[in-house]
Amino acid sequence: MLILFQILFVLFSLFAVLSVYRRRKEGLLGPKGTIFWILFWLAVIIVVLWPDTVAQIANVFGIGRGADFVIYSAFVLLFYLVFKLHTKIESIGRDVTKVVRKNALKEKD
Amino acid sequence: MFIALVPAYNEEPRIGSVVRNLFSHVDKVVVIDDGSSDNTAVVAKDAGAEILTHSLNRGQGAALETGHEYARNVGATHVLHFDGDGQFSVEDITPALNHIKESDADILFGSRFLDSRSNVPWFKRYVILPLGRIINRIFGAPKLSDAHNGFRILTSRALEHVHITHDDMAHASEIPILADRAGLSIVEYPVKVRYREFGQGPASGLRIVSDLLFGKFVK
Repeated sequence: MLILFQILFVLFSLFAVLSVYRRRKEGLLGPKGTIFWILFWLAVIIVVLWPDTVAQIANVFGIGRGADFVIYSAFVLLFYLVFKLHTKIESIGRDVTKVVRKNALKEKD
Repeated sequence: MFIALVPAYNEEPRIGSVVRNLFSHVDKVVVIDDGSSDNTAVVAKDAGAEILTHSLNRGQGAALETGHEYARNVGATHVLHFDGDGQFSVEDITPALNHIKESDADILFGSRFLDSRSNVPWFKRYVILPLGRIINRIFGAPKLSDAHNGFRILTSRALEHVHITHDDMAHASEIPILADRAGLSIVEYPVKVRYREFGQGPASGLRIVSDLLFGKFVK
């Protein structure tokens, strides 16, 4: 029988897939991003419904429990995403500066 | 042509006298108003400066690079970096300019530690600045007695090579790094710094390290 947390996680994951689809339609996500995020949330659904699957993967990596494997992977993924976001924001900031600079010099002419 | 570049953010009370004092030492004063919300630009213009206006606040590094771009366009032979808050003394400008010319160097960095005129707070002198020197060395900056000093003179040759990409305070580390990488000849010159308030604390130091680090990954 499904326990409450499984129902909630599956519902949330389905909602997330839907929102990935919407972002794709709005043109905010590229094809690679779309495939990654849909696969990611489908994987979440599989892991929530059949926790034993992660336990098997965890064993392959020499990690004792499936839950530990999920936490380790989540950490790595989150750090990577934070890093990516940070550099993206920095690069947007530099683009903003270029525009501000161009306007400042143009106004002077 | 010798141009003073003065980045200014909300410096209305001080910018007027800074600009007026500069005129007897340089050919032109350019104030880069970095998105100030007060009347910095109006006061600076009334004092006789040329104004470049950033519509948004982008940081001191960004403002200096806007000044660089302007100086390249008008064909300046030398540019001076001079803070808009009145912490530097204009009396240092002409001797520093003579020094860079006589030593045939490309870039001059002011230093608070080559004479005893600057009353550097002890925490800054013995903690912040030595740490700054270590960080600068890690990121590939040449050895300077003063890790972060906003008083600089660049020749047109230095201007060609030094394109500041760090919008915030990390530009103070970036400039010597770029100068060194381009093989420019570097000199230091003693300048006096008056302390109004504490200036950069440990938090902004950490910010500089993080900016330098993340800057490595930004195109």
